[in-house]
Amino acid sequence: MRLALTVSEVLLPLLYLMLFVAYLWVFYENRKFAHRWARRLLATTVVAHLAASAIHAGVHHHLPMASPLEFLSLLALSLLLIYAVVERRLRVRETGFLVTGVAFLLQFISSAFSVAEPAANPLLEDPGYAGHAVLVLLAYTALSLSFLYAILYLVLERQLARKTFGLFFRRLPPLEVLERMSVGAAKLGVPLLFAALALGHLWLYDLADKLDPETARSLTPYDPKILTSWVIFLGYLVGLAGHRWWGWRGRRMNTLAILAYIAVVVTMGAIHHFIPSFHNFSLRGGA
Amino acid sequence: MMAGHASLHMWGVDHRLAPTEVRERAHIDPERVRRLLEALAPEPGFVSAVPVSTCNRTEIYLETLPGFAMFDGMTRCLAAAGIDPALFTGEYAVRLTDAEAVRRLYRVSAGLESMMLGEPQISGQLKDAYRLAKEHHELGPVLMRAFQGAFRAGKRVRTETKIGEGAVSVAFAAVELARRFFADLSRHRALLVGAGETGALAARHFLQQGIGGLIVVNRSPERARDLAADLNGGKGELVRARPWEDLAAALADVDVVLSTTGSLEPVILPEMVRAAMRRRRARPLYVLDIAVPRDVHPDVARVDETYVFGLDDLDEIVQANLAARRKQLPGAERIIEEELAEFRAWIGEMDLRPSVAEFRAYLEDLKEKQVGYVRRKQSDEVAAAVDASLQQFIKKVLGRSMESLKSAESEQERLQHLATLHHLFAPHDPHEQHAPREQHAPHKRHAPREPQDTREIL
Repeated sequence: MRLALTVSEVLLPLLYLMLFVAYLWVFYENRKFAHRWARRLLATTVVAHLAASAIHAGVHHHLPMASPLEFLSLLALSLLLIYAVVERRLRVRETGFLVTGVAFLLQFISSAFSVAEPAANPLLEDPGYAGHAVLVLLAYTALSLSFLYAILYLVLERQLARKTFGLFFRRLPPLEVLERMSVGAAKLGVPLLFAALALGHLWLYDLADKLDPETARSLTPYDPKILTSWVIFLGYLVGLAGHRWWGWRGRRMNTLAILAYIAVVVTMGAIHHFIPSFHNFSLRGGA
Repeated sequence: MMAGHASLHMWGVDHRLAPTEVRERAHIDPERVRRLLEALAPEPGFVSAVPVSTCNRTEIYLETLPGFAMFDGMTRCLAAAGIDPALFTGEYAVRLTDAEAVRRLYRVSAGLESMMLGEPQISGQLKDAYRLAKEHHELGPVLMRAFQGAFRAGKRVRTETKIGEGAVSVAFAAVELARRFFADLSRHRALLVGAGETGALAARHFLQQGIGGLIVVNRSPERARDLAADLNGGKGELVRARPWEDLAAALADVDVVLSTTGSLEPVILPEMVRAAMRRRRARPLYVLDIAVPRDVHPDVARVDETYVFGLDDLDEIVQANLAARRKQLPGAERIIEEELAEFRAWIGEMDLRPSVAEFRAYLEDLKEKQVGYVRRKQSDEVAAAVDASLQQFIKKVLGRSMESLKSAESEQERLQHLATLHHLFAPHDPHEQHAPREQHAPHKRHAPREPQDTREIL
């Protein structure tokens, strides 16, 4: 099993690199066989990474998120998973090189600097917490993808408005599709975030006896990170409703998506650094 | 000469030299194709022909044998088919023979000789011409092989290079631009402002590309109705006419606007578009102004989610795409050369075949005798084993001989080898004096053949 883990640390970045090259090929060449190879490599990489994560869980008895480096690897996997769902729905591969490029970088850093056995937080062995953490990761990854597609929308929209018919004009999918991809990713992220928050609330007090007494006393459903996450959830829900029923579309809608995501990142960053919260992985025994 | 005595010729006129009026007169419709082939059939030395006629070119590809009076025969037959022979012999004509004729065919098939570099329609047009010619007469082996090679070369150039990518006509560029906004045109509707000839052409093109509906608005309602009926072609209600007063309202119902009126003042004004955008709830509006002077007020482009393009923009797209296609030329030329090399190899083998067949017949004959002898002296099992063994032996000897013949360093050396092979193994007349092996190998399978002629290597 340990040998399989070591092998996966070498194989995974290679697979991610091949995947990135395949999607670059799709972007520049747009040939049928390039599409076919990208599709097959995406499935192979996702399956291989899931298998590696399962082996990791089997060997270490916890999810591979005990260290920042392991977290990066899991982030790469979640990026691919969400992207695979969006791609399968819309059958558009021309933007894949951006996602797989980021995923490759994350996986490369994770594998290149990995340590043999990171010190694991005992909470990671708890299935409830693990489910909550994975759902949070998937939800924010989906919202990040939505942000990425909103940026691509604005890039193409600017090229069209300024009549600069460059590479993005020729290779990116139509505005309509980019908007659908952005909205589609948000549509995945919002229910995932809801599920993550709901699971977090359900397991909140069950965790108490697994924490040190000081941290256990700080458990509260009014934690700033939880409240902010609910606000983010509601904000995106309103955005999706606006898109569905009130005709929120086009440049303004995508600008709003970008601003919303920047607000999420800035707010979460500020809370993490300046406001005490039991959601702090850097504190020993924190949740 | 290409193979044995066969020659290929191309007589034609094309867009590079001949003006439209000449190309129109040179056009050969299916009826004239029939008449031309009927006129050519009894000509001595004529094998087969494929006339190819499109709006940019008329080219007649012929396979002939010695004895065919190319110039006299062709001019006579063209005249008999009702085609002016002077068009194919005068200042606008292109006449090519053998290697150059085949190269031309391959380049035409790949779209390298087209007015719109890399355009795909020529491939279908060549196949239609080939089929039509085959319906009237049997094609000679060299012409048939040349066309098959040309089809393959064309397909490879289109799939292995990007020479066919991007719109290279204004009409296609308009659709390409629309596709940067909308993924599926069938889910969107267009508005045609003006019912003139240019508008009709643009509308027809959008309909061919699958636009989901079309509204025609014109100052003269009768012309709008007539054009809508014409575009519908009696099938369905995809195209509808609306009165001129509905122009502002119609802007809210469509995603694509094609404006082509002859008005001296702008007819699509910012306030109309702003009102429409409020009702459209900010859905992007793609406006194509192909009128001169312009139909769309310059301030319309400042309205949110409204994108206005003109003829200059479409031309810029076309020029960029043409430049991108030109960059693909070296790759396309390389593929053409590879396919021509294959054709040359085939021609080479075609020359070898009769001599190698004589050699094979000789070896087969020896084998049969040897196997018969073993059968009489031993048993059927032993004879079968000897037969299988000798068959392998013959295969190896023939394979090696073919390789040696193909790899001859010069044409002279190759002809020498062929002559030696023929001299040693060709069946001989039993009455001929000094005929070698006549009492041992009375060949019946192959008639004596004439020595190989000098060929022009492609």
